[in-house]
Formats: sequence, C-alpha cells, structure tokens
Amino acid sequence: MGLIIGLDMCDAYTQLSCYEKDKTWTFPTIICRCKSEEGWYVGKEAYACNLVGDGILVDKLLNLVSREGTATIEGVKYEAIRLLELFMEQVLKIPKKEFEEEEIDQLVVTLPSITGKVMDSFLYCGDYLGIPREKVHIISHEESFVYYILNQKKEVWRNQVGLFDLSPDKFCYYELKVQRGLQKMMVVAESFDLEESFDLDILGTPSGTRLADKILCSCGERLLGHKLFSTIILSGKGFEKQDWSPEFMKLICRRRKVYAETALFSKGAAFRGADYLEKKEGDSFTCICEGRLKSTISMEIVYKGKKNQLVIAGAGENWYECRTSMDFILDDSKTVEFTITPLDPKQKRKIAISLKDFPDRPARTTKIQMKIGFLDESTMAVAIRDLGFGELFPASDAIVRQEVKL
Amino acid sequence: MSLLLCRQEPVKTPYYIEPLGIRIWSSQELSYVIYHNPLLVMDGFVDEHLITFIRVELDMEFLAAKLEKWMNSKEDKDQLLFIILAECGYYPAPEQAKFRQNVTALRKLPQTEYMKQKGDYLFGRKQYGKAVAIYERILELPGGMAGKELTETIWCSLGCTYARMFQFSKAWAAFEKAYQCRQSEEVLKRMYYLTRIAEKSHSRHFHLPSITADQKKAWLKEISEAGERAKTSDSILKLEGLFQKDSIKRTAGAQKLIKQWKQEYRGMI
Repeated sequence: MGLIIGLDMCDAYTQLSCYEKDKTWTFPTIICRCKSEEGWYVGKEAYACNLVGDGILVDKLLNLVSREGTATIEGVKYEAIRLLELFMEQVLKIPKKEFEEEEIDQLVVTLPSITGKVMDSFLYCGDYLGIPREKVHIISHEESFVYYILNQKKEVWRNQVGLFDLSPDKFCYYELKVQRGLQKMMVVAESFDLEESFDLDILGTPSGTRLADKILCSCGERLLGHKLFSTIILSGKGFEKQDWSPEFMKLICRRRKVYAETALFSKGAAFRGADYLEKKEGDSFTCICEGRLKSTISMEIVYKGKKNQLVIAGAGENWYECRTSMDFILDDSKTVEFTITPLDPKQKRKIAISLKDFPDRPARTTKIQMKIGFLDESTMAVAIRDLGFGELFPASDAIVRQEVKL
Repeated sequence: MSLLLCRQEPVKTPYYIEPLGIRIWSSQELSYVIYHNPLLVMDGFVDEHLITFIRVELDMEFLAAKLEKWMNSKEDKDQLLFIILAECGYYPAPEQAKFRQNVTALRKLPQTEYMKQKGDYLFGRKQYGKAVAIYERILELPGGMAGKELTETIWCSLGCTYARMFQFSKAWAAFEKAYQCRQSEEVLKRMYYLTRIAEKSHSRHFHLPSITADQKKAWLKEISEAGERAKTSDSILKLEGLFQKDSIKRTAGAQKLIKQWKQEYRGMI
C-alpha cells in the first residue's frame, strides 16, 4: 500500500502526517531557490540557505496562491502556482524518503479556509506531481478536526468537543457536536477566528505569559460557558507547552478531558485520506462543516412512471467534489425547479430556472442535459443545454447558465 | 410540471427507421415513434433487429428477453408494442392505455379500411412504392370492395401516388378507373391537374373527358395560387438562399441537397 498523506498548510507553517505512521513533520511554509546549486529548498533548509546568503526566500505561499500572485527570484518571475508545485514536490519527498515508498495512495491537503481557486491550484499541483486527481483532496481545518476526533475513542466525542488552536498567525476556536438521530449520525463542526489573537513572542516574558493566560481564560469562559464538553483539545504552536497558562488549564480541565495535539489537522487529514481509500464515509456519518454543503438540493422527477425526489447533492457532501450531469425530458413545462432543504427543514424553499428561450416543441420532446457544480458551499452553478429529441426534433444551441444561492 | 429522468443509453449505432427516414438514439425516441405511428409499427416492426438494438445499444436486456419470449409464444404481436411502451416508461399509464385503444380500434377496422389507412399513412410519409403495393392489394382483394365510393377513393389514391413518383401514364390509368366509378368532379380535377403537369415535362397527351369553361377557369386559378404559394415555401426560399451564397458554399450545399433528394426519391419508390 502507498502512503496516505495528510498535509496541513498554513501561511506560517506546514505540517505533514502519514496515516498509521508515528512521525509528523512541521516546518515553515517557505521555499528558497539556491543560487549555487540551482535547486529548491523548503522549510528549515530554506532558512539556512537564505541565512548564508545563497538563496532567496518566498514565504506566505498560500496567500500568494489565493491572490494568483507572482514572485521574482534572480530576475525570473514565478507564478504562485509554480512555486506551490515546487514546494509540494519538495515536501512530498520527505515522507517518501523516510518510509522508502514512492507511491501516494491519497493526498489530503487541509487548509484554514478553502476557495475554489486555491483548490484548483492544489489539483494542478497533483497533476504536476503525477498524482491522479481522484487521489488528491482538499479539505478545511474543520473537516480535519472532525475526522481526527471521530477517529478517537467514543468517550472523546460523547458530548461536545472544543478545540483551541493557537498559531503564530491566529487564534481560533473550533467546536464539534455529534447529533445522533434515527437515521445517520450527523457531525457538525464550526470555527471562529478569535479577536483576542496575540503574538506568540509575548510568551517569552513572565508578564507576557500572565497576560496571555488571562486572555485565554476570558475566551475560555465565554466560549465554553455552561455547555457540556467531553473533551477540550489544545493545538498549534502556542500550545507546544502548556505550563505558561495555569489558570486557563484550570478552567478547561473541569469535568472534562484535555488533550494537546499540535499536529491535529494534518493527522485529521490523514484519517480522511484513509477514509477516502476505504470509501466508507457514505455509510458512517454526515459531516457538516466548512467545505461541505449545508443544504440538500433535490428535484421532483418522474422515473418509470413514478414521481420521486431526486437528490442532486446532499447536505454534508464536499461541494468541490460534488458535480454531476444528468439528462431529463421536459414534460409540459419550460421550467426546472430545485428544492433546497437546509439543515432546518422549516427553511425549505424552491427555486425555478426558466427555459423560456428553448424552442417550443410538443410535450416530452425536449431532452435537456443538466450539469451541476458548486462554486462554493453556498453557490450552485447550473448549466442546462437543449439536446432536442434525436432526429425527430433536432437540438438547438440553446443553453441556460445560472448560479443559485443556497 | 415534471421532469422525466433519462436512463443512460450510450447508443453507438442508432436504429434506422426507413419509412420515417430517421435514426433513433434512445428508448424515449423508440416509444415516441411507436406511439405516434401505430400504422407503421403494427405489422412486423418489432423484429430481431429491433430486439438486438434494444439489447445491445439501449442496454435493456430484460426488455429484449421479454420481447423474445413473447415473439416465440406466437401470441398477439401487438402486445410487443405495449411491452415496449410499459418498460421504457416514457409514456404514463393513461397514454399507454390510449395507445392500446388506438391499436385495438385499428385492428377492428374492416380489412380494406385498415389497409387503406395504412396506404394513406405511407403516402403521407412519402413511402410511395409501399403505398402503391398496398392500394393494389386492396383492389385485388377477393370479393371486390364494398362500394363505388371506396373503389373510386382507392383508384384515386393510387393515381396520386403514381403521380408523386412521376409515373404519369400509370397515374392517368388509375385516375381513369377512378373516374369510371362515379364520374366525380374531384377525380376530374385531378386528371386535369395531371394533364397540366405531364404536358410540361412529357410529350404525352392525355385525352381528358370534357370539362366546362367554368371548371377550367376555377382549376387554373387554383393551380396559379398553388404556384404562388410554392414560390414562398420554405424549400424554395432555402434553395434561393443557397444560390445567393459564394460558389464554394453553393456547390457544397447543392451537393448535399441533391444527395438528400436522391435519398428521398429512393425511399419513395
């Protein structure tokens, strides 16, 4: 079996874990072009190369990619995507070398926030590295959190789970709730960037640590309140050591277990990779978090003479990977109607797309091809093309494209 | 309002239906053809070729097997059509029932009437050769036909069909037979029209029974009006449009059109 890699990439640092392997790597998200050897270095080696004056660094790679920026090194202009490819190439060499395994079975990249543009970039990286697209996945930190937690013992997630992620660039709180229903179990995760973020450098002084402890206590009291938590997890560089925050520790350790896991997101991504490989997720639980749809989109259709509700995309599906193409025949109307059902079914609503510019034909002699994809978790893109009805009613060039807000 | 979900039918080799001059690519089109053309499909439409198409191209093994079993049972062949409509699910149950009623009603028609309707259907689909065969079979039926009116209609239809095939002598002979039945003015008008058409393209002169000056005037007017309508018909406009194009496009278009006409003519006879 090849490697199942979970890669957590932030602007400040990158962490890499492999499924069922103990080792985890953490290094700054930087890349350096070495002048003398004409090679590329990442992480600490990149810093070293830069320090001896033998290379030029590029940092904040993720930011550069999301704004489609460029970096000029030694007079050569590099597109952000190219730098990301080089970075990923170097990064993936590390576990390959360590475990003497060239094949990658799954690569799951987890990001603090995900956009279509950034996701596309990682898929192109996969193409560049020769990893088939079906083996490359991009998920949110929230989703990594879910998969990390659900791969722990059940008592860890019996009640709510809170996560404080204290990183050099931000302070974030995540919360996970498991809803056990009659049907499938539903796991809902959400996160908030906390305004009380502080520079980790203040932890270098006694007064700074006291202040940081106070900040954490205040956040803890506000966020944990009277909710019932089975577990609190501390993650991020700021929690590599916890002895600087005695009051906060006292607060969070009340009637619940507390764990520190600095590579939670990359490990969660690796768990997700294993899940993709086994394709078991469909049967186990519905995951609602960033990167997943929060509504079910369905249509009323007739199949073999019977009316049915056809689910186009279900709540909890990865919006980026959720795309479909189907053919329908219009019965007696030139409208296509979608039913959007959010998690709260009371907010169910219908959205109609008009096909008034399609040619007039007798009932049931217009076949349409409907392509559906998602631009983000709250925008569905629909393209409907007129296919006519064979040679009896030839197709026209009519096509309707519409974005639907979910 | 509803949408019919189409099953995936990756047809690579479509099924050609000669009388309609079309190829079908899906089970929905097959259902449509059956429903709208009962006279076409009631006699031998469902055969081994169609079953192979259903099995291989439409990937409907169950339906194909069901049809084969029914064919081998030597029972009512119309049932094959009902099975297809039911299995394809394109038409809802009420419309399937309606089709069943139509077929039953057609089957209940007297043989001559059924054959005439079939001949007329083929004429309407420009399948003139096949229509002629049917009209001639009706005329040859033992025991003759039920009345002069029907006999006249069949001869007249035969005359029209031959005329469409540019076989003017045969058309004239058929019209003469039709005219002998009841000396109908309608038949006489058609004979007059034929003389006008045939005399333009053939040296042959037909001896028309005597017509009045008023009749001649009225029919000439009709011919003239038809000529005017033809000038603005789609096919003429399309042809004129073709001749306004540059020489390369014109030649290519003309080649395509001639090929189409040839195909149509081959289909007619």
